[in-house]
Amino acid sequence: MNRGDRGLILSRRADRLRRLGGLFGHGLLLAVTSSSIIAVLFIFFFIAKDALPFFRTEGLREFFTQVAWYPTEEPPAFGALAIFFGTAMVTVGSIIVAVPLGLAASLCLSDILPFALRQLVKPIIELLAAIPSVAYGFVAMVVLAPLLQEQGGRVLAVAAWIVGTPLAAISVIVLSDVAGNAVPKPFRKLGRIVIGLLLGLVAIEGLATLSGVLSKVQIVTGVNALNASVILGIMALPTIISVAEDALQAVGRELREGSYALGATRAETLVKVVIPAAASGICAAVILGIMRAVGETMVVLMAAGGASHIPEPWYNFFASVRTMTATIAAEMGEADQSTGSAHYHALFALALSLLVISFVLNMLSEWAVHRAQKKLRGE
Amino acid sequence: MNLGTRKVVDRAFSGLGVTSIVLLAAALVVILAPMVLRGTGAFVFRGTVEFRRLEFEKFGRGNPDRLKAEQAAAIRARKTVYDMLKVFPREIEQREDAFRAEKRELRKKRRAARDADVAEQPERKAALDRREKEFDGRRERLDRQKADFEEVHKLVGELLGPPPGEELHAVWDKQYGQTRWDGVEKKVVLLTKIDQWVQPDDPQQPNYLVRTPRAKLYEGTALAGLFDYVEDHAEEMFLPKWTFYWRFLTDTSDSAHYFGGIWPEILGTIYLTLGSMVFAVPMGVIAAVYLVEYAKEGPTIRVLRTFTNTLAGVPSIVFGLFGAVFFIRTLHLSEGKSVLVGSLTLALLVLPMIIRAAEEAIRAVPRTYKEAALSVGAGKWRTVVTVILPAALPGILTGIVISMGRAAGETAPIIFTAAVSVGQPLNLGQVFNHPTPALPWNIYNLCTEHRAVDEIRHVQYGMVLTLVAIVLLLNLAAIVMRARISRKMRS
Repeated sequence: MNRGDRGLILSRRADRLRRLGGLFGHGLLLAVTSSSIIAVLFIFFFIAKDALPFFRTEGLREFFTQVAWYPTEEPPAFGALAIFFGTAMVTVGSIIVAVPLGLAASLCLSDILPFALRQLVKPIIELLAAIPSVAYGFVAMVVLAPLLQEQGGRVLAVAAWIVGTPLAAISVIVLSDVAGNAVPKPFRKLGRIVIGLLLGLVAIEGLATLSGVLSKVQIVTGVNALNASVILGIMALPTIISVAEDALQAVGRELREGSYALGATRAETLVKVVIPAAASGICAAVILGIMRAVGETMVVLMAAGGASHIPEPWYNFFASVRTMTATIAAEMGEADQSTGSAHYHALFALALSLLVISFVLNMLSEWAVHRAQKKLRGE
Repeated sequence: MNLGTRKVVDRAFSGLGVTSIVLLAAALVVILAPMVLRGTGAFVFRGTVEFRRLEFEKFGRGNPDRLKAEQAAAIRARKTVYDMLKVFPREIEQREDAFRAEKRELRKKRRAARDADVAEQPERKAALDRREKEFDGRRERLDRQKADFEEVHKLVGELLGPPPGEELHAVWDKQYGQTRWDGVEKKVVLLTKIDQWVQPDDPQQPNYLVRTPRAKLYEGTALAGLFDYVEDHAEEMFLPKWTFYWRFLTDTSDSAHYFGGIWPEILGTIYLTLGSMVFAVPMGVIAAVYLVEYAKEGPTIRVLRTFTNTLAGVPSIVFGLFGAVFFIRTLHLSEGKSVLVGSLTLALLVLPMIIRAAEEAIRAVPRTYKEAALSVGAGKWRTVVTVILPAALPGILTGIVISMGRAAGETAPIIFTAAVSVGQPLNLGQVFNHPTPALPWNIYNLCTEHRAVDEIRHVQYGMVLTLVAIVLLLNLAAIVMRARISRKMRS
């Protein structure tokens, strides 16, 4: 290569050498680059290799439809339905926490905050993303769980106030303004204030009733689906925010300015123009958030409780649940002692299911991103 | 809608956005505050004389003369406790003898009553019954005291350490009393109060805790004064002093983490992080160069990108399983878990991150650089190595630093490939075939599987703080670097 680089006049030999060198280099680079392909294929292959014996001997039926998971008993039972349900439950919970908050935050970051403030807020999100999962799990288990167990009702009531107050305040302001329009003009200002005060009282009354009901709730165990969901939601937030913000940014100035030119306010522009244009990208953000929650191990291992049953009733977030990742992490230690046992292969079957789920979700998000790009290009 | 209303709605919308940001910041504070506040407790605390004894005997630190004086003072204060403990068993024996005598007497009386006149019988029998009942009460109290005394003995042992003159146990935590003043306070409460969980009549209600002073159980015995004495003289027995124990970071500990520091865990984390970078950085940077500079847009690059994203989406626990099955059981890189295998597994995990960061950094290098290099006759490879990579270096480094933070904090991939709960710091030669303790795994391990989880909270918090500090410092470095790059780009 170096010889060829030196001059522009090349002998035929040097030329050929150079081209060969180039090809070789290219090949080498390609080989290294495809290591991620090889890694993915190998991961699928080796996980499937140890999972298939389980499906071959035990079949699919029990694994996917039964609730009883007693892998070490005699005879063992490998019903993973409750474990799947646990994963689904904490994932849904975390999405309920993370999506509204993440979406509002990403809108705020991309369109509402001025540049200087944005530079201050970004590090917050980066720090949230950087905190290791085991530290989140530790907080969930050592700080949050005892708090929920001893003061469960009060914690819920405080949370209701924290989330409810701004929402109530904003809706009171908007509603009183709307209602004020009905008042004849000379008294309009006064009418708005009176209606606002009345509505505010109603809202405070409503919140007080709600927190009163919540504060009577008794939580039996602090390590439960709620705890894990909240923490997982916080962990999924940075992913959702950064991807959704990218999607919102990608919409571009022209659409926004067009909307403003038509006389729309910022909120109208965002809701009616920017969000629809970025919908696919926002979808991708939510899917990535779900992936983060599904694949997370330490938090659910430490904070979800680990009882493999479907809660009673099924939406009871105060019950402890167990997820696929937590099952693998908790039981592989014992199963490892007897490599090749049915338990060992059953855990690999769980891992394979996990892998397939995240693969499908990943494909979905890729597809969403692809669609978003196509849409923005105007195809 | 009326214009004013639309404006108000707009403001409300902005308000919602700002609220979400405030909630975000609050979440960060709520999560970080306990780690920082209680984590500092591992470094700054009131160390007792036991702590200074441990420091001197195990690590050779401190002033021996002053220690000796302190120890003498402490032993003097503790003597009363030991004396009471010594007296009490003798007292029990005496009282048991007395009880036996009384029992005999009672039996005799009962026999006499049976033989006595029929008319007198019911009265005498009732009196005897009363007396017997009272006797049984006293007897049962003694039994309770006897049973509880063992607990007291154990607690005093945990509080003060082994009594002077006794042969030392091989395990550290049996050789010393409480080294921290907060530990002393907790043990004193355990010693002076009896906790009892009471089940209410209504089974729906949760059990509640009833706390009674232990002194009440021992009323009228030689041990009755012990509890007040311990409570009042704890400071004299322990001589607490504010200590800044920065060596928490560099000390090894005994096996169970009761005392000492967390150096083996920190070192293991450093090994795993750097090890994963050794594999991931070259691969990631080369892949990024290829993707940006060599590959042509088309199916190859699409497939490559899809697979990179898939790799990024694989759950971390699956990486752990794969590492165990592939590197250990298929390739036999080491006999069991090892730092090498853990590093390889973590490298796979951070590879997509590094590829993405490097790709972005290379893409951000202005076209003009490349064109200038090509125009003075540099070949493509030479352009990449001498112009593009140096120009992209700060960006690539930022990505590497962030991935280091990620690798340092991951737990699930190293559970089956590298981590053990107990171990000594490794030297470089052992890296290839020895497992290591590591901060993330040991945090989990200490707060779930340790036999005295509550007593070593400070160690757990200290570990969490250390890990979070490492990760956040790395990220802070990345943030600063990125700010500098963007300033350079703008000027």
